[in-house]
Amino acid sequence: MKTELERWQQLGNEVMAYGQDLIQAMIILVGGLILIRLLFRYLRPRLKRIIPRESVVSMITHGVSVILLFLVVTAALHHAGMREAVVFRVLALIAIGVVGVIVLFRPLLPSLPFKVGNTVEAGGLLGRVEATTALNTRLRTFDGKTVFIPNRMILNETVVNFHFTPTRQIRIAVTITYDADLIQAKTILTAILARDPRVLDKPAARVFVLNLTEDGVEIAVRPWVKNADYWRTRCDLLEIIKLRLDQEGIPFASPRRRVHLHESALEGAPAGKAPPPQGPEMNPSTPIRKGETA
Amino acid sequence: MNLKEAMQFIDQGWKRRLKGFRVHFERWDGTQWIPDHFPDPGSKPITSEVSAWELARRFAQATRPDQDPIGPGNTANVHVVDDLGNPVLFYGTHAPLGFNKKKDLPGSAG
Repeated sequence: MKTELERWQQLGNEVMAYGQDLIQAMIILVGGLILIRLLFRYLRPRLKRIIPRESVVSMITHGVSVILLFLVVTAALHHAGMREAVVFRVLALIAIGVVGVIVLFRPLLPSLPFKVGNTVEAGGLLGRVEATTALNTRLRTFDGKTVFIPNRMILNETVVNFHFTPTRQIRIAVTITYDADLIQAKTILTAILARDPRVLDKPAARVFVLNLTEDGVEIAVRPWVKNADYWRTRCDLLEIIKLRLDQEGIPFASPRRRVHLHESALEGAPAGKAPPPQGPEMNPSTPIRKGETA
Repeated sequence: MNLKEAMQFIDQGWKRRLKGFRVHFERWDGTQWIPDHFPDPGSKPITSEVSAWELARRFAQATRPDQDPIGPGNTANVHVVDDLGNPVLFYGTHAPLGFNKKKDLPGSAG
């Protein structure tokens, strides 16, 4: 029976025999991992310049990093004394196991309703998805902020993904006064839409009376554009509509309030002095609808 | 005539949709005014009318001749044209508009 001292001696001998190889294998492994990380830190921005789609860049970098990781681990294990065939079998088994688990449980895992590179409205924020992890999603808003939204919040809320459909409808409401020429206004608005190269023929743009409000006639302007053109076209149309309607003498309606005063109320007041407001109908904060009398 | 046929007439008769805009100008090469455009006629035009006019205005400001004699690179008659080269009315006033008109340049007889 071996004594404790002999066991320690045997361990010491084994460390003397294989320790150097093990340390070198560890250096290969750690050095390889650091090199892979540095390589992708250098390559990723350059790939983004060549390939505009973020998802493709991610796929390429992840694929190449898995292959490089496989090579580094193989080299480290081989240096530690394992035979290539054994190393290959072990890594192949691990790879098959991982793939099998992913394929088996993938349908059960909750998936996010967008991909990297999509423009989405999630968690009350609008921006482009930069990256997704198991815990959160990194969103780049259009005012330059980087926001991390927890995935559980995204999964519990409504998400608008602007990439599922290639086109989008611009919704503009123009309110003109009741005495303005409605037909002329509609003709001008239709002509403005017909003139813009970004407005699509199909689905056709529409201009129609949406509502008769307290302030005026609300006209809906509904052109369809490509997703990428949405904001720019909307801003341009607003500017053109404002200037053209001004130029054509069609006034925009502004919130207005009519106050009717009873002559009897004025009769009792001293000369040159209006009577104080009486009752809710004289309260300036109470709107009086068109046609109503106080 | 059914509604579909009538709609085809309406669509065909409606004003031709512009494909884009270019900024047209004349450039002084030292001896004469040379007509030019940007973007070049072979390349994709500007799709935003507002942007086209904004570019025309800024381009005219940047290349406006400030002194007499007019030097190379100075421009005149800067305005926006459509994809066929026809002058476009300014969207704000629905009237022709041009920058750096020749009659307004220094040294011109008016």
